[in-house]
Amino acid sequence: MRNAQDYAVRVDNLVYRVDSKTILDSLNLEIRRGEVLSIMGGSGSGKTTLLKCIVGLLKPTSGAIWIGEQNMAVLSEAQRAPLRRTLGIVFQYAALFDYLTVEQNVIFGLERQRDIKRSEMRKIARERLDWVGLSDVENLYPSQLSGGMRKRVGLARALATDPQTVLFDEPTSGLDPITTHQIDSLITRLNRELNLTAVVVSHDVGSVLRVSDRIAMLAQGRFVETGSVTEILHSSNEQVRAFLEAARSTSVESAP
Amino acid sequence: MEEQIWTEVSEKRGAVSAVLHFVGSMGLLLTASLRSMASFRWEWREIVHQMAFIGVASVPIVAITTLFSGAVLALYSASLLMRFGAGSLSGGAVGLSIAREIAPVLTAIMVAARCGSAIAAQIASMKVTEQIDAMRALAVNPISYLVVPRLVAALVMLPILCVVANFAGIFGGAFVASALGVPSFAYFKAVQLFTDSYDLTGGIIKVAVFAVIVALVGCQQGLSAQGGAAGVGHATTRAVVISMVLIYITNYFLADLLFAKT
Ligand SMILES: Nc1ncnc2c1ncn2[C@@H]1O[C@H](COP(=O)(O)OP(=O)(O)O)[C@@H](O)[C@H]1O
Ligand SMILES: [Mg+2]
Repeated sequence: MRNAQDYAVRVDNLVYRVDSKTILDSLNLEIRRGEVLSIMGGSGSGKTTLLKCIVGLLKPTSGAIWIGEQNMAVLSEAQRAPLRRTLGIVFQYAALFDYLTVEQNVIFGLERQRDIKRSEMRKIARERLDWVGLSDVENLYPSQLSGGMRKRVGLARALATDPQTVLFDEPTSGLDPITTHQIDSLITRLNRELNLTAVVVSHDVGSVLRVSDRIAMLAQGRFVETGSVTEILHSSNEQVRAFLEAARSTSVESAP
Repeated sequence: MEEQIWTEVSEKRGAVSAVLHFVGSMGLLLTASLRSMASFRWEWREIVHQMAFIGVASVPIVAITTLFSGAVLALYSASLLMRFGAGSLSGGAVGLSIAREIAPVLTAIMVAARCGSAIAAQIASMKVTEQIDAMRALAVNPISYLVVPRLVAALVMLPILCVVANFAGIFGGAFVASALGVPSFAYFKAVQLFTDSYDLTGGIIKVAVFAVIVALVGCQQGLSAQGGAAGVGHATTRAVVISMVLIYITNYFLADLLFAKT
């Protein structure tokens, strides 16, 4: 029997409903400390909804989300704040504040949190941007950046408050293959070097297979299979096989 | 309770339930804003920024519109009263209408058109691009960072704009009255005689209520926007329409409350 310390996040019987439509249906998931776990699934399968429930941006209809000893699902908005600082989230389209510079974006959460000197914050911003492979962009505005750069700034912003777990919503969607590989190796590197737990939500099979320790397959709001990369590749589940098959047939290697 | 502000709701709703939902979420937003204000963790930079946008930058349109409203009031009232040999009384007609009605209502309408729409558009675009979510994820409360500064700025600046509007309207009337042959000193004498400080403060009380309406409706529509660029457009249009309608409705009741007996 594992204890709570082994898990970064534990999702327990999570249900999310809007009106009478069930978007997430009794999900159970354990995200182990220090692993890269991918949640794979097609568009509209509920991936973003699940991420937002984990971070407490959406309140589940029922079920629990354990972050350490605390249940995110029952906390008030004010009580969630300290818990959120242990989690970082990188949004699908980065969601940078477009009226702020890159540097102001990165230190946004920091500014209102602790009494840190301005110079110290700038140092943190430079360091986090350096981690994600960006330099000399501090004074640019998000509109002046490419899609890949924006996602990295989003990651730098998520890393500013030293989270233990970072959640990525479709980190590689809409990026060219080279940028995709860069983002993939960035996730792997942060996981190894900073011992970050990473939750990657994606429909990009290639990317998922490259970065993950474990994969959970989400379809129509249910987990249909969870396992290591090898287990998923050899899964007998219909939906998993269909998903992998479709991905294979649309990839470059299979082009005539 | 604040939780419900962030709860996603579907768009499909009947008219009655839409109105109830609107009233409910305005109430929630106001309570959450007051609670945030009471915590005294104010975003001063944002407040100053919004004061410049809502206040200073609105001076020209507020001044121009009330100037011409005062002018047209003088045009009618002076020519009418001159038939009875009482042209100089037009200052009273203009002064009273401007102070009690034109200045507060027109100021609020102009700010609703100019700033209410901008508030809704900014916040709605942040909502549909997940910037509001990002803010909450960074443990920054959008109520204190976005709503309170706009509410405070509107509450401070609209009364000041209303004073500007009073001057502009009365001077606009003075130009026209004197062009029609009413001596200026007689016009201003009549302004003084027929209006007192209560008319001015009454107008300012009205405009403070309108300020809450404009800022809160803009924020509420922005925060509840859904569905990409189209959602931003809807939120903007609705913010302007709803706040203008609410301004006229509350204006009637405030007029009854403040001025009916005087
Ligand atoms: N506020 C909402 N109201 C109604 N349906 C929603 C809402 N949010 C999401 N959905 C629906 O939930 C499903 C899952 O959405 P989402 O989590 O964004 O999927 P994914 O990220 O996997 O593409 C979709 O079918 C979507 O239409
Ligand atoms: Mg999604």
